[in-house]
Amino acid sequence: MRDRIDDIRARGAELVIVGNGAPNFAAGFRDEFDLDGPLLLDPDLRAYRAAGLRRGRVELLSPRLPRNALRALRSGSRQTGVEGDPWQLGGVFVIRPDGELTYRYISREAGDHPPIDEILAGLDPDAEPIEESSPAPAPRVWLGRGLSRIVDPFIVSSFDRTGFRIHSLTFRPEDLDVDLSSRRCLVTGANSGIGFETALALADLGAGVVLLCRNAQRGEEAAAQIRQQTGNRRISLEIVDLSDLASVRAAAAALAAGPVDVLVHNAGVLPDERIETRDGLELTFATHVVGPHLLTRLLRPSLEKSPDARVIWVSSGGMYTRGLNLEDPNWTQRDYDGVRAYAETKRAQVILAELWAEELRAFPIAVNAMHPGWADTPAVESSLPRFHRITRNILRTPAEGADTVVWLSACPRARESTGRFFFDRKERRTHLLPFTRESDRDRAVLWELCERLCAAPSL
Amino acid sequence: MRTTTKLSGIELADSSGVRRLLGSFWQGRPVVLVFIRHFG
Repeated sequence: MRDRIDDIRARGAELVIVGNGAPNFAAGFRDEFDLDGPLLLDPDLRAYRAAGLRRGRVELLSPRLPRNALRALRSGSRQTGVEGDPWQLGGVFVIRPDGELTYRYISREAGDHPPIDEILAGLDPDAEPIEESSPAPAPRVWLGRGLSRIVDPFIVSSFDRTGFRIHSLTFRPEDLDVDLSSRRCLVTGANSGIGFETALALADLGAGVVLLCRNAQRGEEAAAQIRQQTGNRRISLEIVDLSDLASVRAAAAALAAGPVDVLVHNAGVLPDERIETRDGLELTFATHVVGPHLLTRLLRPSLEKSPDARVIWVSSGGMYTRGLNLEDPNWTQRDYDGVRAYAETKRAQVILAELWAEELRAFPIAVNAMHPGWADTPAVESSLPRFHRITRNILRTPAEGADTVVWLSACPRARESTGRFFFDRKERRTHLLPFTRESDRDRAVLWELCERLCAAPSL
Repeated sequence: MRTTTKLSGIELADSSGVRRLLGSFWQGRPVVLVFIRHFG
C-alpha cells in the first residue's frame, strides 16, 4: 500500500496508520517505510476493539500463513520481529468526512491484506456506504462449534484461555455494537479484575457506570482510569460493603435516586478463616448471597422503571462442585473451609438468579447468572496462590472473563433470556454432578432465609 | 453504535507523543485508516 499512497492522496484522502507497539518502534517503522502521514499508537488496543478487529491464536495458525508470508516477501516486506500485541490482527477502513464507512476489511489471519484497488474504490465519490452489521462468517462459527464440542467436556481446556478463544469464534461481532449512552449500570467490586473490566467495557459502550466499591481510594483510582481510557465522564463511585447490610441499605438509598438499568453482582471474597460480619453472618455468605439479595430488593423499584433492565450474578465454575447448603450457611457447626464456602455461595447465587427471574417475570427485567471461567485476576492471585501459580500461563485475561457479563448487560439478544446460566455467551447446564441438585423446597428455604435476614434491622 | 462513531471519540498519541482525536482525521477529507498488525 505504501507504493500507492500517491493514488490515495490524488483522491483527496489521507492515509492514517494505527499500530500497537511502543513509540520507538513506530519511529523505526516510519523510517523504514518512508512514511510522512499520521502514525498513531494504540498500546491499549482501544481503537482496535472499537473497530471490531480480530485477535487470537487460532487466526495466527492458518494454513495460509506460509503463502501470505511469501507474498509479503515478494512485495518487499522484511519482517524483523513483532512489537506490540502478537495476537492482534489488522484491518483497513475508508471513512468519508460525514463519518460514513465506504470500505471495511477485517484481516482474518496474519498477512491477510485487502487489494489496494478495493480500497481506492472506497474513495470513489460515488462509493455507497456499507452496511455495518454482518454476521460472523459461517466457516468461523462452524469451526468454533466443532472445537467447542471437543474442548467443552474437559474443564481445563474449556475454562482456560484456549476455551475462550475457541468459544469466541462463535461470537457475533454485532452483539456488542450497541450504544449504551442512555443506560446507567451499577457494578459491584468494580475496582479490579472482572468487575473493573466489566465497568470499563460498559463505559466504552457509552453507559453511565457507577462503581460500587469498599475502598474509596482504590475505587477513585479505578474510576479515574476508566474515564481516562474511555473518555467517558459519566463514571462515578459509590462506597458499599456488600457484607454489611447497613452499608448496602445506605448505598441503595443513594443509588435509587437515579435510574438503574443494569445491576452486576460481581463483588466477591475468599477468606482463609471464618470471619463474622457485624450482622452475625459468615463473610462469604453475607458478601455473595445476603448483601446482593438485599441490594436487588432495594433497587427493585428502580429496575422496574427501566424499559430493559438486566441483573447479572457473577458466579463461578467452582459452584459445579457443591450443592446448596442450608443446614449451616453461616459455618457455625463445621470446620471452616474457605474454598467450600465460596463454592456453596456461588451455587446459591445461581439459584437466586433463577428465583429473582421468576419474581420479576412480570417486568422487563432479565436476571441471569454466569461464570467467567479461569481468569487471571488479583483476587485469584491473592486468594488462591497455589492455583494461580500452577495455572497462570493458561488463565484468561480479566477482560475475557468479563466478556459474558458485558454481553448479558448490553446485547439486545441477551434480553430474551432470564433465569438462565451462561458461560462464554452460551447457556450452560447448572449441574454436572447429581449430588449437587437441590429440591424445590430447598430453593424456597433459601429465598425465605434471604428475605428474613434482609428484613432484620442492622446491628 | 456505528464503527466510525465509536472510533471518532478515541484519542491516541502520534509518533511524536501528541494526543490526536481519531475523528479529527476525517473532518473535511476522507481517510484510509489502516490498523497494522505490528511494527515489524
